[in-house]
Amino acid sequence: MSVSTDRARPVAGRRRGWKHRLAQNGTVRTLGPFVPVVFLWWLVAELDVFPSAFFVGPATVLAEMADLIYKGILPSYLADSLNRLWNGVLFGMLIGIPAGFVVALSTWARKLTWPLLMFFQAIADIAWLPIVIVWFGFSLTAVTFVIVYTIVFPLMISIVAGVEQVPRDVIRAARSLGAGRFRVFTDVIVPGSLPSVATGIRTGLGYGWRALIAAEIIIGSSGLGFMMFDSRRAGEVTGVFVGMIVLGVLWFALDALVLAPFERSTIERWGMVKTAEVGR
Amino acid sequence: MSRRLAAAFWFVVPFVGLVVIWAAIVALTGVDRRVFPQVTDVARAFADMWASGELATHVGASLQRIAIGVVAALVTAIPFGFALGISRWAAAFFSPLLRFSVALAGIAWIPLATLWFGTGEQAVIFIVWNAMFFALTYNAMLGVQRIPTELLRAARSLGTTRLRMFSDVMLPGALPSIVTGLRVGLGYGWRGLVAAEIIATNAGIGYSIFLAQRFFRTDVIITGMIIIGVLWLIVDRVLLAPLERRTVERWGMKAVVS
Amino acid sequence: MKTLEISGLHKQFVDSYTDEVVTAVGDVSFAVEQGEFISVLGPSGCGKTTVLNIVAGFEKQTDGSVLVGGREISGPSPERGVVFQSFALFPWKTVLGNVVFGLRMRGVPRQEREPIARQYLDLVGLEGFERKFPHELSGGMQQRLGVARVLANEPEVMLMDEPFASVDAQTRRKLQEDLTGIFESKRPTVFFVTHDVDEAVFLSDRVVVLSSRPSQVNEIVTVPLERPRDWRSVLDDPDFRHTVTHITDLLSGDESRVVQADLDSA
Repeated sequence: MSVSTDRARPVAGRRRGWKHRLAQNGTVRTLGPFVPVVFLWWLVAELDVFPSAFFVGPATVLAEMADLIYKGILPSYLADSLNRLWNGVLFGMLIGIPAGFVVALSTWARKLTWPLLMFFQAIADIAWLPIVIVWFGFSLTAVTFVIVYTIVFPLMISIVAGVEQVPRDVIRAARSLGAGRFRVFTDVIVPGSLPSVATGIRTGLGYGWRALIAAEIIIGSSGLGFMMFDSRRAGEVTGVFVGMIVLGVLWFALDALVLAPFERSTIERWGMVKTAEVGR
Repeated sequence: MSRRLAAAFWFVVPFVGLVVIWAAIVALTGVDRRVFPQVTDVARAFADMWASGELATHVGASLQRIAIGVVAALVTAIPFGFALGISRWAAAFFSPLLRFSVALAGIAWIPLATLWFGTGEQAVIFIVWNAMFFALTYNAMLGVQRIPTELLRAARSLGTTRLRMFSDVMLPGALPSIVTGLRVGLGYGWRGLVAAEIIATNAGIGYSIFLAQRFFRTDVIITGMIIIGVLWLIVDRVLLAPLERRTVERWGMKAVVS
Repeated sequence: MKTLEISGLHKQFVDSYTDEVVTAVGDVSFAVEQGEFISVLGPSGCGKTTVLNIVAGFEKQTDGSVLVGGREISGPSPERGVVFQSFALFPWKTVLGNVVFGLRMRGVPRQEREPIARQYLDLVGLEGFERKFPHELSGGMQQRLGVARVLANEPEVMLMDEPFASVDAQTRRKLQEDLTGIFESKRPTVFFVTHDVDEAVFLSDRVVVLSSRPSQVNEIVTVPLERPRDWRSVLDDPDFRHTVTHITDLLSGDESRVVQADLDSA
């Protein structure tokens, strides 16, 4: 009888010590990869691979960041950007969610608006900036308008998709258990389409975020986008780097603290793997 | 045939309605037509731009940039995404970095891109590539990870070699996800293109509407916006939809909606 | 001549949630003769699919050996083709494309592939469907394609993992009869995993009955039925009923022992 080569291998289990536990730790898994990347960044800057007018190291960026925080510029710009984003998202959801359900549930509303929805979604939100400037000047209203625009359409389209994904049998089951039309809506259709709403908000925020930066670059007098472009105009690459890092960290935090938990609490908790995601 | 006719009818009706409402509002409220142009003003602006060849120049410039950006993104992102899809270790390492980068992709790079490449073609193409790269990589990775284990096993027990595994199983298997990535990525790329053209060039549709804003030509701005919308719909209907119909739908693998 | 020889097969793995060591396969040994149809039957969760996965080369055993044609196996190979419960057809390939796949991978010249593939499509009754895509076929037809795809490779042994578990009852009967027909005409060596006693007895020459976890071979039952077989005559055959009852007793005895053990420990 030949002996399997695998015999010598001990059954794992006892071997799984602190290394294993460390590798399973969420924070380590998320932040760990950034350590070598920052090191590489430092190394490239230190070796002067690129001229310092184009590329600066982490130490320089940190110093600049500390300076900007100390002067109060970074906190106030950050607050401005977040305030704009919040305004846009709030109004976007107030408009997009009811409108989305109307279009999803009414055949007539769907027939009359669906092609328009597709078309307005196709006009990239950023292309609205020029006309919005003409209409509202360089103001908070102009920026809010563009962000609302970026949120509303993905949200409406996602809600329609979400309502369509609610299994017909579940609706029929609710009806035959005595639920009226209104209760079917509140107790079946709304929760059933929540995962899609979550996806829609995430997609919309992704676009809104970019639109905000673009708007601040183009028409801003404050905010992170403005700060980056102002630094670029002055040829100060450090300010640009600071802006990008703040943007990245901010999105990461938003994603980890708000969006992902919301999605988890609906999709995963209910075991609703989005049928579309299974893809087979 | 009559069904297609009905579909076309219902596609056109909302637009006709929109145009009628638009014309009525401008005529009835007597709003300054320099602020809110009448339908005819926009039509005239379109005709002028068409006749002068301006339109062709701008559209041509924009399409060329997006084409180069898309090809560059496909060529770089798919192999990278596949590498991540195959290696669990690489996926665990790069996933947080990817998520960080997706948030930044595209527009946020404009200041840096113009600093590195100057204002011009290179910077715009870099932005389009950058906007698409991460979404494409991420979806290519997901596509490979989501190929059912049994399909990979079936291929292996039918004698598939590593190289053949890539071309005959992974590529078609990940295609639905790649198409999704292309859709999402093109959405970002398209916006990145418009924003970058505003800032970094002297041709293209994005540039044309911003120039018009400086001269208060709202008719030209709206013409440009409509063209941007129509172009996107054409890209969607001519490029993405047939690709989906021929592959994902024909094979009965539902496209991943995102 | 023994085509497949399994001796002292043992498999442990670590449950990734509880970190506990689980023994999926305790000690399994048996051999399959060339041209023999053998079924592996056991209570659910007894590790019969694990045995198949090891023979297929998808998983590595902790101990023991698997010989095919006298040689130790290493990894998946076309000499051990697998028919899956989930069919595992390539959705992006046509019916013909799926059957030709294995031949292409083995480098069979282009002009030879198609005649071979068509011959096997005829065998499973799929002639005329060459240009269809798998999702356009019914479940039963999809699994016929799964069988043709493996047989076209002329494997030493065809491994079948509960292949008819996801088709409706009527189709299942038909597929079982057709598989018997194919087996009787072609005489491939078949290793069949199932939890359906009737199915195992109807199809097999011998049935390997496994005990519950950690699995061991409880008994190898020889099926005393003549070939060719069909459901009509087999159902009336007292030998069939007798064998089914015997195996059911083996399985339920095992189950009651488990229940008893649970009660004792409680």
